[in-house]
Amino acid sequence: MTQEAARLQEWARRPERGSLPLLRFGVWVARCLGRPAARLLLYPLVLYFSFLCPAASRASRAYLARVRGAAPGFAQRFTHFLTFARCLLDRVFLLNDESAAFEIEVHGDEILHAIEAQGGGCLLFGAHLGSFEVARALGRRRRRDLPISLLMYEENAQKIRAALAAINPSLATEVIGLGRAGSLIAVAERLRAGHFIGVLADRNLDGHDMRRMDFLGAPAAFPQGPFRVAAMLQRPVVFMAGLYRGGRRYELHFELLAAAPAARPANMQGWIEETMSRYVARVEHYCREAPYNWFNFHDFWA
Amino acid sequence: MTAASMTQTAEEAALAQLIVETLNLDLAPDEIGPDGLLYGDEGLGLDSIDMLEISLTVSQRYGVKLRADAGNNTEIFHSLRSLSAYIQGHRQV
Repeated sequence: MTQEAARLQEWARRPERGSLPLLRFGVWVARCLGRPAARLLLYPLVLYFSFLCPAASRASRAYLARVRGAAPGFAQRFTHFLTFARCLLDRVFLLNDESAAFEIEVHGDEILHAIEAQGGGCLLFGAHLGSFEVARALGRRRRRDLPISLLMYEENAQKIRAALAAINPSLATEVIGLGRAGSLIAVAERLRAGHFIGVLADRNLDGHDMRRMDFLGAPAAFPQGPFRVAAMLQRPVVFMAGLYRGGRRYELHFELLAAAPAARPANMQGWIEETMSRYVARVEHYCREAPYNWFNFHDFWA
Repeated sequence: MTAASMTQTAEEAALAQLIVETLNLDLAPDEIGPDGLLYGDEGLGLDSIDMLEISLTVSQRYGVKLRADAGNNTEIFHSLRSLSAYIQGHRQV
């Protein structure tokens, strides 16, 4: 494994900042204060973290310089962190079925309806871009029985499952933990049962199978694993991004990246590369549309 | 370890052959120790994508569905021996 792949792997497995009690406490505070007051509290918190996490600050600066074409000032970096914090905070309210309090503008809904009508599930490929939660919230609001599962690293998954259980117990089963021998077999089963499976396809599922793709003007390593799995399971791949647009507004985009291959693609690698380049192009497009929604706070071009 | 446990049975050898072919592994089928770990870096180094690939091939070849939640999946996928034993216990073809 190359050094950079090792570093990315390490990053993917790293537990998210903060312990479970802190997470629970944060959820409790947010719910006691309500959204407007909790949002005010984010300012000092974000200020504190922007000094406490020099690595994340560096990553933010490097990303913003690429996407804006000019070196960002402190205000831009602060806005970047603040957007992340606001999306994180909104997860609490979205998870708690308070999605009616948000304005969610949906584009490409008909793609999901068509897939659902055909039967069988699909893969929803997102990125660390905006809020994944807003899609699930919308799914629950429209149709209580639309099964959506999320793939996630086990140590993160356990924490998040516990936190989800505290907020809304019915959500905990929707998380599939990665990093076990049978993780992706579980994905195959749920797809057959008609589930929609959310995958953050800018991090690897397992292994070290990366490919460098041109992204915002320079090559960055993207994982091939999610795309290989899609080809193996022969299900449609839908790109998804839930962009935060300020205030109470979210914009949810669905786009078909690849129809279900009728059989395993004869040229597997060709299919993977083609689908990957479409994915990366869409991620890049939405980074330019909503630059502060990019939430990979590590050196993505390493 | 006794000599007997080091040797693949006929069923295990056939499964080892299938695994090597499916995953294009750079080793001979009889190099897979029957009791060695399949998954993870301490063993053969297979990852969960490889395991998915194996489960698809096994379902085609033997008509056995390797279910993610049937009993202890980690035990079924532990080694060539445990996987082969599970398949032989459930095979339809």
